[in-house]
Amino acid sequence: MGTPPRIAFVSPRFSEGATVGGAETLLRKLAERLVSAGWKVDYLTTCARNHFTWENEIPEGTQNQGGITVHYFPVDSGRDLNAFYDIQNRISRSVEVSLEDELTWHRNNVNSQALYQFLRDQGHQYDKIITGPYLFALVYFASQIHPTKTLLLPCLHDECFAYLKTIKSLFASVSGWIFNSEPERDLAGRLYGLDMTRANVVGMGIEGFSVDPDAFRAKHHLTSPYIIYSGRRESLKGTPLLMDYLDVFRERTGNDVKLVMTGSGSFEPPTRLAPHILDLGYVTEQEKHDAMAGAVAFCHPSVNESFSIVLLESWLAGTPVVVHASGEVMPYHCRKSNGGLWFRNYGEFEEALSLLLAKPNLRQAMGTSGCRYVQQEYSWAAVEARLLTALR
Amino acid sequence: MSTGPFEIGADGVDVEHIMAEIRETVALKMQSGAYVGAQLARAERFNLVNLKKDDNFFDFYMESLREAVFVDINDFEIRERRALFAPLLIRLKKAIWGLLKFYTYRIWSQQNQVNGLLLSATEEVDRKYRDKIKTLEERIAKLESRLPPG
Repeated sequence: MGTPPRIAFVSPRFSEGATVGGAETLLRKLAERLVSAGWKVDYLTTCARNHFTWENEIPEGTQNQGGITVHYFPVDSGRDLNAFYDIQNRISRSVEVSLEDELTWHRNNVNSQALYQFLRDQGHQYDKIITGPYLFALVYFASQIHPTKTLLLPCLHDECFAYLKTIKSLFASVSGWIFNSEPERDLAGRLYGLDMTRANVVGMGIEGFSVDPDAFRAKHHLTSPYIIYSGRRESLKGTPLLMDYLDVFRERTGNDVKLVMTGSGSFEPPTRLAPHILDLGYVTEQEKHDAMAGAVAFCHPSVNESFSIVLLESWLAGTPVVVHASGEVMPYHCRKSNGGLWFRNYGEFEEALSLLLAKPNLRQAMGTSGCRYVQQEYSWAAVEARLLTALR
Repeated sequence: MSTGPFEIGADGVDVEHIMAEIRETVALKMQSGAYVGAQLARAERFNLVNLKKDDNFFDFYMESLREAVFVDINDFEIRERRALFAPLLIRLKKAIWGLLKFYTYRIWSQQNQVNGLLLSATEEVDRKYRDKIKTLEERIAKLESRLPPG
């Protein structure tokens, strides 16, 4: 029997649970699949848990996490936060910054010289290195150490950071890219003029689950129809827009539709809507899935998603989705699955939601259609096959 | 929205078709003025940034601005949620409003003048640049027509 292939994942954080973002969860899941496929998997990451402070909270060293050898390295101290935020604010406002400023921004972002040194010393042992998401300096600098064996898993969005010169050079320097969806791949192609023969669309597998919507309704005394949103509550995710729209929807149509929210982040709903929001914060996966199954629709107002796990979970729960039309990925999933509708403005939101409320059969049909799509395209078997192709 | 346009069944769902119907319905309702009002314009405030890449973004933005530009300074019905002492509380609120309204009318009518001027200025800038672009496009077309074929 030959030596198993060896791979390193490089990412600023290692997903330990629900408190880490979707990109880190995706990287961990892919790493786990490779372990079960017989690969020897190392995961190089920092000792940080909090993506605002980047404080070193986890002890340095190595731990075995479900067959993955996780190496924790300290985040560098001495970041010039004033310089970092000054440049970041300019980038966020789409002000063009110089190459030197971009590099200063990266240097004062999250970095770990210890991790870079490990990769320089030990990188030759790996057959492949997967690193992501694209926005972190750790990914930018780590990808330059062994670029010919590095695959970038960018989780790319059409946002101001994607237009930086250094990000273009990051994409150009690596040996290939692993995208989560076709629209994300097409966006990278448009922005960076990439050779698409080196691009692979892999995504993340979603495991099936059983649901009990009645138990959820009974537990929370819900008798009215409701829509659901799961995830971070912040303006980048579009949650203020969803709350404003639902407030107007209730007023204009007279439909007593509630909003169930799970996830993290504070929010300020319109006063009139506040009593009709059930905010559950963090819930178990089972409760989230039960809540999804009982909803009229899962509403995702974000325009900045490169994959959207919750959308696929909602379909597996048999519930159709309503998403913002301006994002690239979610309307693409809706079209491909026939499991969701999309809106550009309030009028379309009102019509889509009214239609789903009025036609339970349509709701059920769209939920079934979406479920079938997830089972076909995002079963772990399908994802693993695509991942192994990308690593060939 | 027309009723019963869809063949229901997992295999019969066609979301492109449903969306086409929704867009058609919304366009008709927009023409008939079903989506006007400051409340709707306010709800779109977080959405405008999402639409900046659309060709007709500016038209939509201006429409929202027109709907929201003037603050409603008219009298309004004063209500009281709490049943206990409701008539008394309403009378108290009316008395306070009676004292304040002269002052608030003055502030808001001035604000409305400013808002109105800003809207006019924005519309004028829009008109001016549309005319300019139209003239340039016509000029380019004329120049291109003079080029030799091929």
